[in-house]
Amino acid sequence: MEKVCITGIGAISAIGFSVNEQIDALRAGRNGLGHAKHFQSVYAQQLHFGEIDLSDEALRERVGNLEAPDLTRTSLIAIHAFQEAVNQAQLDQETLSSRRTGFISSSTVGGMCYTDHLYNDANNKETASQFVKSYEGSDHTLQIVRLFNIKGFTDTINTACSSSANAILLGCQLINAGKLDRVIVGGADCLAKYTVNGFNSLRILSENQCAPFDANRDGLNLGEAGAYLVLEKASIVGDKPILGYVSGWGNANDAFHPSATSDEARGPLLAMNAALNVAGLQANEIDYINAHGTGTQNNDQTESFAFQQLFDKVPPYNSTKSYTGHTLAAAGALEAIFTLSSLMHQELYPSLQVKETISDFEFQPIKSFQKGVALKHAQSNSFGFGGNCTSLILSACL
Amino acid sequence: MFVKDLYAISPQSTFNLTFEAGEVLEIVADRYLSHEPNYLEFIPAGQLRRMGKAVRMGIGAGLPLIQRNEPLDGIIIGSANGGLEDCIKFLNQIVDYEEGVLTPTNFVQSTPNALAGQLAILSTNSGYNCTHTNGSLAFENALIDTQLQLSQSADSTAFLVGAVEEISEYNYNIDTHAGRYKGEATSNSSLLSSKTDGTICGEGATTFVLTNNSTDAYAEIVDVTQITCPTKEELTEMIHVFLQENNLNTEDIDTIVLGNNGDGRLDFWYNDVVTPLFPTAQTLHYKQFVGNYRTVSAFGLYFTVQHMRRLIANTSQKRPKNALIYNHFDGVRHGFILVKNSAES
Repeated sequence: MEKVCITGIGAISAIGFSVNEQIDALRAGRNGLGHAKHFQSVYAQQLHFGEIDLSDEALRERVGNLEAPDLTRTSLIAIHAFQEAVNQAQLDQETLSSRRTGFISSSTVGGMCYTDHLYNDANNKETASQFVKSYEGSDHTLQIVRLFNIKGFTDTINTACSSSANAILLGCQLINAGKLDRVIVGGADCLAKYTVNGFNSLRILSENQCAPFDANRDGLNLGEAGAYLVLEKASIVGDKPILGYVSGWGNANDAFHPSATSDEARGPLLAMNAALNVAGLQANEIDYINAHGTGTQNNDQTESFAFQQLFDKVPPYNSTKSYTGHTLAAAGALEAIFTLSSLMHQELYPSLQVKETISDFEFQPIKSFQKGVALKHAQSNSFGFGGNCTSLILSACL
Repeated sequence: MFVKDLYAISPQSTFNLTFEAGEVLEIVADRYLSHEPNYLEFIPAGQLRRMGKAVRMGIGAGLPLIQRNEPLDGIIIGSANGGLEDCIKFLNQIVDYEEGVLTPTNFVQSTPNALAGQLAILSTNSGYNCTHTNGSLAFENALIDTQLQLSQSADSTAFLVGAVEEISEYNYNIDTHAGRYKGEATSNSSLLSSKTDGTICGEGATTFVLTNNSTDAYAEIVDVTQITCPTKEELTEMIHVFLQENNLNTEDIDTIVLGNNGDGRLDFWYNDVVTPLFPTAQTLHYKQFVGNYRTVSAFGLYFTVQHMRRLIANTSQKRPKNALIYNHFDGVRHGFILVKNSAES
């Protein structure tokens, strides 16, 4: 089994337009949560969001004014992050178009982000909008495939909030099985009336800055992000820098409820154990956890219970959703990149907005920025509606 | 990997196998709707009422297979759009009620992974669970995922694998705006000979039990591949490489199963690009039975396997030994499934 190497990362979120800008915000403990400036909704000033501070026009300009009139905000965010990742991995056109190069993306809202256009087209209200062929969940994938002339395996995954974690998992397995030499994996989601009203109808959105793992947490903040990683098999990396490794992955279903996790954390624990098994590691070899940590009562209680069950001594953990909000399909890849940053720089970022820790557990999330911490292996968790649970293990290239 | 069991809810009466017995329904319509079984035999009425059509058909095609093949190791679904009816119902609420207080049922049902999640809950299956939404390659992607999961296990392992797509008024409108449909009522018996623009929309749920264990298998899925936005030359090259990788040449393929859908603009991919590569093969078509939809290649696989099992009555076609199933959508995404008759191996 060849090692799966990470050779490129790209991300855009509420805390920065590049990976480096986002690492600066993590180090400074600076979140990107606030009322919405660009997202139009009756909730824009009522709830907190993790919005990327760029209009659609500004995003379009930043990705190079591409000749495609039907790029939605989801696609623009995806392209922005994709460009950064493939540039860092130095993938030239021939490599991008090789049948041995794959692309696996993910999105939940996908092309449905322009609610009002979709409403008009779906209800036959007027002449078709320019987005009429762009509503599919996989539209952003197809746009990237076209723009970058990708000819190999392509896929789009939607397992709700664990989508891009499963894109990473599938990419690793394709490399392991020898089906691909390299694969770009990740996802993108933008703020949309569809998801905001959906989560609001479930009454799990907070009017405040979200506070994962705080005793008085009152819900999540929706965010938007695009995040991609370039994975390559060790034997073809050559002298390019290796940023780290994906060494374990596990996927399981909680099989309990469409939009809540079971008290005994069945799915999360199965996924975490499966990932440890693939990595050939014991739980006590995990040095850091990037938690799913949404800030809902249900998730943080269940996930903490899973930590208690899995670890004799729970390693340092945080939820970087306290910086970016919950970026849905993009969260798995975005948080894998933040996890990788901790491993690369041997540092830990504080979990924000925690005032009072959950009294059922004697452990608590990381409180302050710490440099010079020895970190070898880290776990990153993603749990979604439909019971979809995925756990990844990333390892440092020391 | 091997096909151990299969089931289809489609515009034909496949759910009770009368389609296979030779009773092909003639449908004259601008869209071909599914013939659905009586779900109340296995879904409680209260739950059934809350299910949108995609979830209902998916549970209806998935649960019987799970129940007669338990225990299964996971659930892998391909669906380009999931529960669109619920999705646009929720969207309409957002717009019509100006983002007021909404009920979450439509939202929760609309996510494409709702089906795989519901199947997991109903069968308490906590194994591997994934939903692929890559447009018209979503089913091929589900098969490739399954192939990977099965290859990692030395033990006998089996997954429920399926595809579902529903016709809703809304996606019918959107795809009509996009120029994909003929618009006028068309008989399915003359669909494939039509030369006008567009096709007729269909729907359905098709499910399989796929396993790495060849015992009592109906057929073997030898390999699956796909390409997006190829030129004709790239597609031809890709087919040759794909066959080579599986130690086959074009003469070994005795049956090509093509996705012709009566769209005068796009059937050349089948007729002019792929058919000439296989001069010795017989051709099977299947969209005259079920219409066109994004994950319809799952029905193509179903139809091929039923042929291999000699279940299709009134056919002059030979029993396929090595079949290549080819489907594309809009001429953009192209998928290939290579199937071998287990009984002949």
